Amino acid sequence: MSDPLMPELPSAGGGTIAPRQPTDWTTDAMRQRIRKRYARERRFRRLGLVAVVMSAAFLAFLLVTMASQGLGGFFRTEVALPIDFPQTGIEVDKAALDQPGADLALAGAGLENIVGSAAIAAFGDYGPNVISDNAWLTVREAIKHDPSILDGRAVIHVPASAEIDRAISETGTPEAEAAVTKLQAENAITEGFNWRFLSASDSTDPTQVGIWGALKGSFFTMLVTFLIAFPVGVLAAIYLEEYAPKNRWTDLVEVSINNLAAVPSIIFGLLGLAVFLGTWTLFGHKVGPLLPRSAALVGGLTLALMIMPVIVIASRNAIKAVPPSIRDAALGIGASKVQVVFHHVLPLALPGILTGTIIGMARALGETAPLLLVGMRAFIATPPDSLTDKATVLPVQIFLWSDEVSRGFVEKTSAAIIVLLVFLLAMNAVAIYLRNKFETRW
Amino acid sequence: MLGRLALTMTLAATLAACGDSNGGARTQITAVGSSTVYPFTTRVAEAFRNQDSNRDAPVIESTGTGGGMARFCDGVGSEYPDIVDASRRIKKSEYQKCEANGALPILEIQIGMDGVALAESLQGPSFELTKKDIYLALAAHPMGKDTNSAQTWRDVNPALPAIPIQVYGPPSTSGTRDAFAELIMEPGCTEAFPQVEERSSDDKKMVCMQLRSDGPYIDAGENDNLIVQKLTANPNAVGIFGYSYLEENHDRLRGIPIEGVSPTYETIAGGSYPGARPLFIYVKAKHLNAVPGLKEFLRLYSTMWGPDGDLVKRGLIAAPQDVRDHAVEIIQQQIPLDATTLD
Repeated sequence: MSDPLMPELPSAGGGTIAPRQPTDWTTDAMRQRIRKRYARERRFRRLGLVAVVMSAAFLAFLLVTMASQGLGGFFRTEVALPIDFPQTGIEVDKAALDQPGADLALAGAGLENIVGSAAIAAFGDYGPNVISDNAWLTVREAIKHDPSILDGRAVIHVPASAEIDRAISETGTPEAEAAVTKLQAENAITEGFNWRFLSASDSTDPTQVGIWGALKGSFFTMLVTFLIAFPVGVLAAIYLEEYAPKNRWTDLVEVSINNLAAVPSIIFGLLGLAVFLGTWTLFGHKVGPLLPRSAALVGGLTLALMIMPVIVIASRNAIKAVPPSIRDAALGIGASKVQVVFHHVLPLALPGILTGTIIGMARALGETAPLLLVGMRAFIATPPDSLTDKATVLPVQIFLWSDEVSRGFVEKTSAAIIVLLVFLLAMNAVAIYLRNKFETRW
Repeated sequence: MLGRLALTMTLAATLAACGDSNGGARTQITAVGSSTVYPFTTRVAEAFRNQDSNRDAPVIESTGTGGGMARFCDGVGSEYPDIVDASRRIKKSEYQKCEANGALPILEIQIGMDGVALAESLQGPSFELTKKDIYLALAAHPMGKDTNSAQTWRDVNPALPAIPIQVYGPPSTSGTRDAFAELIMEPGCTEAFPQVEERSSDDKKMVCMQLRSDGPYIDAGENDNLIVQKLTANPNAVGIFGYSYLEENHDRLRGIPIEGVSPTYETIAGGSYPGARPLFIYVKAKHLNAVPGLKEFLRLYSTMWGPDGDLVKRGLIAAPQDVRDHAVEIIQQQIPLDATTLD
């Protein structure tokens, strides 16, 4: 009992333990063993490093190719086009230009041909190929903005054609290259940020396309997905963790949820198609379709079905990780079951639930296949204004543009990918912020 | 607090889900169908909206001719499309489905022509094929045999190079594929195997039109740009797609002459190229008055399909004058399609 901290060795009455010989580290066998150990250690570390470097390289490759191809999509070339309106003989009632029918009046006055002829007058026979097919729309906007330009000669900056764009950024056809050299000599070309790309919708002309319609569609779709999948998923998880008895039926439910989380997304597309857009004959009446095709609402519901299992699984794990002592303490001071769940368990589990939701929402945002089946792949030239308007989403827009005939769409496709990645990062950033805000340690 | 929040959110979501039904009339034109006609219809849709930005933009979905026909003929009313884009004529069975669902009468409007072009990379071996070669290389049951044993083009025709047969083409829902089977495979079949005429029509279809599925014919999906990319990557391969894609990619691809005729604007418009086919849109007459702007849309279409029209700039091949005149007449007088002319 000399030192109270040192436990006494058990002094059993039996045999004594032979004193242990110190390890001889200098023998060859031992040294070899040690060398092998260190080698294994180094090998493992290098393998890990290689894995990280490889993933980083793929990511860098993706980002660099997308950025190098797509950045051009955010810029556009404009050509200064002089138009002498009195000479073109355009006949428009200026008073009508404030009226709703102004678009039709100007289109009817042959503005498209006037702009085409002005291009020939200014840039020669190749002129109409220099300006975008829809350049007259810019001119129309300019006239509506300031009808007085109709009285004289005006220089209007119109978008250049896709060929000219391509001749500037890379190599184009010889005619386009020649036209660019000439235009540059005349200082008629300006390069600027393409605001239209962020504010317009789909178009058949790569110089006129925009991503706003698809972005808005994605936003609406995600909103519906979140509003359905989050509450339903979390409530299901709370019920299963806190209320449901543990028996064969709940086991079955758990297995089904795990299986559902692994079902390929296209199957959910078929499910959405059958449930929301299907028609049935009930008692001689034709029922359905329940929801409008191609709408953000139906896309959002389909995606909600898809990510609900992911949210349920993540939420259950988060709820499970809340220490039972917290529940016991709350119950001990007289809280009801609902109070325990909503005052204590759920706030503590929220960071984990949010992580699961981020993963699910990110998956939904990038999803194409199920949306193709519910008709969100249409050409839609106006952004959606409500959940039931026909809409498309970013990944589908990328898919549609990749299939376009015109070569000008290549850089627009990459630019759209950049927008999609930025949207994804923004969504994740918000979720990570929320998660950190609610995070509690114990 | 969290509880109330969750409750409100669920309620809001339920309301959003139930509040909107699509019982009301639709204000925008909807079209579905062929991916070959899609770029032309979208172009017209865009012009339609550019004329007057207060109009609702038409919504156009590319589903392939077969898929489009199925939805078009599902019924009449706001939830069914007004127009179907078709890269072949409507089939009798599809017409009957339309009839059963009350979607008749329909207008058949030929918007122009297209060629089913066979093409290779500019680095390719400069193929020159005949319909017979193509049939023997790609049929599932050439000359009525159980399988197709040809692995290289030389197996088909000793004059051709010993390059493995690799053909990228559209899937079975595509009108381009139907047109390919009808315009190139079938004539090649009757040329290579005249006895087929004595067989039953189902049997003939199987022998003549069925494409092999053991590898040399590669189904590349509805994405024609993908076929273009695959051809550039693989100079020995042959691709099948609409002529507009060939025209847009002249700096990368070369059209393969069939029976000595290369696919060009002139040969397709003149009818000497064997892979030429008409393109159609079908419109439900019952929708003409119900959907605002549908008549103007068709009128606008007819002003854009001429030889100097905007659609030709985008790869459409203008139909001959009399065909165009007839189509305009159909639009103006709403002449329904006569089912007896279908086969």
